[in-house]
Amino acid sequence: MKARFQAGDRVRVLHLGKTGHIRTPFYVRGRTGTVTELCGYFLNPEELAVGNTAGPVVPLYRVSFPQTELWPDYQGPAHDALSIEIYDHWLAAG
Amino acid sequence: MTMTRGYHDIGGDPAGPVPKTELPWLHWEKQVEAVRNLLGDGTRRIISLDEMRRGFESFGIEKYAKLSFYRRRVEAMIDILIEKGVITREELDAEIEAVRARWNNV
Repeated sequence: MKARFQAGDRVRVLHLGKTGHIRTPFYVRGRTGTVTELCGYFLNPEELAVGNTAGPVVPLYRVSFPQTELWPDYQGPAHDALSIEIYDHWLAAG
Repeated sequence: MTMTRGYHDIGGDPAGPVPKTELPWLHWEKQVEAVRNLLGDGTRRIISLDEMRRGFESFGIEKYAKLSFYRRRVEAMIDILIEKGVITREELDAEIEAVRARWNNV
């Protein structure tokens, strides 16, 4: 799978409705952030979690979210941000 | 759209004050990590880290909440080893009994 996003792209985290082991925490779902880098290509942990090691690898991005986007009652400085790694299939163009 | 959220996925929930005391890393806890590393290493690939996580994320919240970090890991590894047919519950129980007997005779 080719990387669909690059640094600077705005992305929105999807609500995929998946059960089982997933690495995208609830608090970022539906939120909009900015890709800061492509971390590389890795086996999908959702597949590894059920013993499927055959691949394919998927792009993993580091995405930055303003804290005020994640927590409506955030009291810290407006430029505070949270960086988190998110797999390609959890993202849509924001 | 279904809003799936695992019971372990608690980021952002109110949690009260964070205890800032250093906890000792117990010998048996180090053994848990040693076993996990052996089961997941490049030559064996018996249990991946994500597989073990899936294990304790499938406990149900009551069991999950009452176990410590390393107990969760042990119990999840046992579940996956049994699921994959590497060991049976009966073999494990027999081995625990044998070790206990040796221990009591020391």
